[in-house]
Amino acid sequence: METIIELLKLSKDYRDGDIVTTALSGISFNIMRGEFVAVMGPSGSGKSTLLHILDFLDRPTGGTYLFRGKSTSALTDIQLAHLRNKEMGFVFQAFNLLGRSSVYDNVELPLLYADVPVFRRPELVHKAIHDVGLEEKTYVPTSNLSGGQKQRVAIARALVNDPSIIFADEPTGNLDSISGGQVMEALQELNEHGRTIILVTHETYTARYAGRLIALHDGKVVKDESIADRHKGNGLIK
Amino acid sequence: MKLNDSIKSSLRGMRQGKVRTALTMLGIIIGVSSVTLIMSLGASANQYIVDQVQSIGSNIISINPGAPTSGAPAAALGIVIKTLKDQDVQALRREPSLAVVAPAVTGQSRIVFENVDKGISWFAAGSEIFDVLNLSLERGSFFTDADVQAYNHVIILGGKIATTLFGQRDPVGKSVRLQDQSFRVVGVLTSSGLSALATDNAAIIPLTVGQKQLLGIDYYTLIRAKAAQAYDVDFAVSRITTILRQDHHITDPNKDDFMVESAQDALKVLGSVTSALTIFLSGIAAISLVVGGIGIMNIMLVSVTERTREIGLRKALGATERDILSQFLVESVILTSIGGFIGICIGASFTALAAFAVNHFAGISWGFQFPLSAVLLALGVSVTTGLVFGVYPARQAALKNPIDALRYE
Repeated sequence: METIIELLKLSKDYRDGDIVTTALSGISFNIMRGEFVAVMGPSGSGKSTLLHILDFLDRPTGGTYLFRGKSTSALTDIQLAHLRNKEMGFVFQAFNLLGRSSVYDNVELPLLYADVPVFRRPELVHKAIHDVGLEEKTYVPTSNLSGGQKQRVAIARALVNDPSIIFADEPTGNLDSISGGQVMEALQELNEHGRTIILVTHETYTARYAGRLIALHDGKVVKDESIADRHKGNGLIK
Repeated sequence: MKLNDSIKSSLRGMRQGKVRTALTMLGIIIGVSSVTLIMSLGASANQYIVDQVQSIGSNIISINPGAPTSGAPAAALGIVIKTLKDQDVQALRREPSLAVVAPAVTGQSRIVFENVDKGISWFAAGSEIFDVLNLSLERGSFFTDADVQAYNHVIILGGKIATTLFGQRDPVGKSVRLQDQSFRVVGVLTSSGLSALATDNAAIIPLTVGQKQLLGIDYYTLIRAKAAQAYDVDFAVSRITTILRQDHHITDPNKDDFMVESAQDALKVLGSVTSALTIFLSGIAAISLVVGGIGIMNIMLVSVTERTREIGLRKALGATERDILSQFLVESVILTSIGGFIGICIGASFTALAAFAVNHFAGISWGFQFPLSAVLLALGVSVTTGLVFGVYPARQAALKNPIDALRYE
C-alpha cells in the first residue's frame, strides 16, 4: 500500500524576538493510503499546527515531510496551493461555507482553482451533492441549511476534486450528537471506499470512528496505535 | 481561477449586496456623468461657434491697424492708428486671390428717435460689407453704392437697437439722429446671435458719410476681405501681408503695423478657448472621480475584512495569492465599469436635455454633441480608477495568512 504521508523528526518552532516556542518536536510517523487516522490531544498539544503543516498551509522549521514519496520542502507556495487543490479536501469545525451562495456554488469552489474544464464542472458538482444526499437543496443558500446539512455540503465540497486525502478539523464541534454522528458515519464511509481521512478531534467518541489514533502532548507523539473497537455506522454516503 | 469565474463571482457578490454596490458606484456615476456632461457641452459649444463663424463665412479675412500683439488690439485700448489707407484698399482690390475688399470705419455716438436716446457703435462701410459679412435683412433694403457716392444719410439698424428705438413700429422710412445728423432708416438687420461685427446692437451707414462727415478722417479703422473661391484662405492672407508690407515699406516682419487674421484663425482661437475651458471644468469634475475611487477603496477594504474567512477558505481550497488578487481587482474594475457606463448614460441624457432646453427656451440653435472621445475617456478613467483604487485592498486580501484568516471571527 502506498505511503501517502511520511514525517521524519518534524518540528515547528515559533520565534518572537529571542523567545522560541516549540509547537512540534521530533514528530515521525507514516500514513498509508486508505487509513483513517484520528489526531488527538489537549489544547496546546500541537494538533492544529500539525494539521496545517500536513495540509501545506504552514511549513515545518525542521525535519522532513514527504508527500506521496516526494519532499515538500523545495516546493513553492504556488505548487503547494495546486497540490492542496488536487490532493486534499477539507472539512472544518465552522463549516466555512459562503453563506449567501447556494450549495452548488459552494461545492463548485475548489473546481474554480483546478484545471477542470468548465463544461465538466456541473457533472462533478452534482455527483458530489448527490453523494451526500442533498440534491433537493442544490440551489438553496447554505445559510438556510441546518448544521448537519452544512457539514454535508462541506463534505461534498471536499469530495468534488476527488482528493486522495481528506482533513477533518473538529468536524462535529458545532453539531448536535445526532448530526455529529451522521457526519462521522459519512467520513467513515468515505474511508471504506478507499479515501484517506485525517481527523483532528479532542472527542474520544468521534475518534472511535478512526482506525488509528495518534495522540499528541506538548508537541510530541505520545501514542500511535490502532483502535480495536472501531465504531460501525449505518451508512450515509451513497 | 479563470477570468470569467472571477467575473461571475464578482457579479454574484454584487447581486447579494445590492445597496452596498449601488452606494459604492455612486461616486463613479456622479464623476463620470459630470465629466461626460461637461465634455459634451464643451463640444456642443465648440460646434455652435464653428457653425456661427461658418455662417458668416470661413473665407473672411480681417485686417486691423496696429502691430500684432498677444494682448488686446490697439483700437480696443483707445489708441488711434492711422496705418490703413485708401492706397492699401486699392492695392488689395487688384489682388486676384481676394473677391471683395471692404474698408470701414467705426465710431460711437448716441442715436435718438423721438424721446429714446441710446449710445451705440456704428460702422461706416461700402455696400460690399453686406456681402462680406453675409448680413440679411428683416425688413427694408441695403443702401447702395450710389448712396455711398452721394453721401446719402441713410442707416441700417441692428435688430436689437431697432426694437429699442421703435418697439413694435416699422422703422423703415423713419428718421433718427446720429451724432446730431439726421439719417433715414432704410433697413433692419436680422438678429444673428453672434457676428464678427456684433451687428445686433449697432448701425451701419455709408462709408463716405462716416469717414468724411462724422469723423473727418482719411484712414480706415478696419478692412474686411473675402478670399476668392479658387484660392486658399491662407494664401490670400499671405498675399495681403505681402502687399501691405510693400505699401508700408516694411522689410522686417516684426515691425508690421497691421494685423491680418482669417476667420479660421479666429475659429482656432475660439476653439482653443472653449477646449481649455472644457479641460479645466472636466478636471474639476474629475476630482469627484478621485473621491469616488477613494470610496471604492474604502468599501473594498471593508469587504476584504468582512470576507477574511472566505479568503482563508479559498486559499485552503487551492487559491494562490494571484487568484485572490485578481478576484478583488476584477470586482473593483467591474464596479467602476458599471458605474462608468451608468454615468455615461446619465451624462448623455443631461446633454440631450440641455440641448433641448437651449433650443426651446433660449431660441439658440444648439446641437446635441456627445463625442466618442468623452465616452472612451470616461470608460478608460472608470477602469483605471477601479484598477488603481482596487490594488491596495486586493493586495491586502492576497497577502492574508490563510491560517489566521480561517480563524478570523
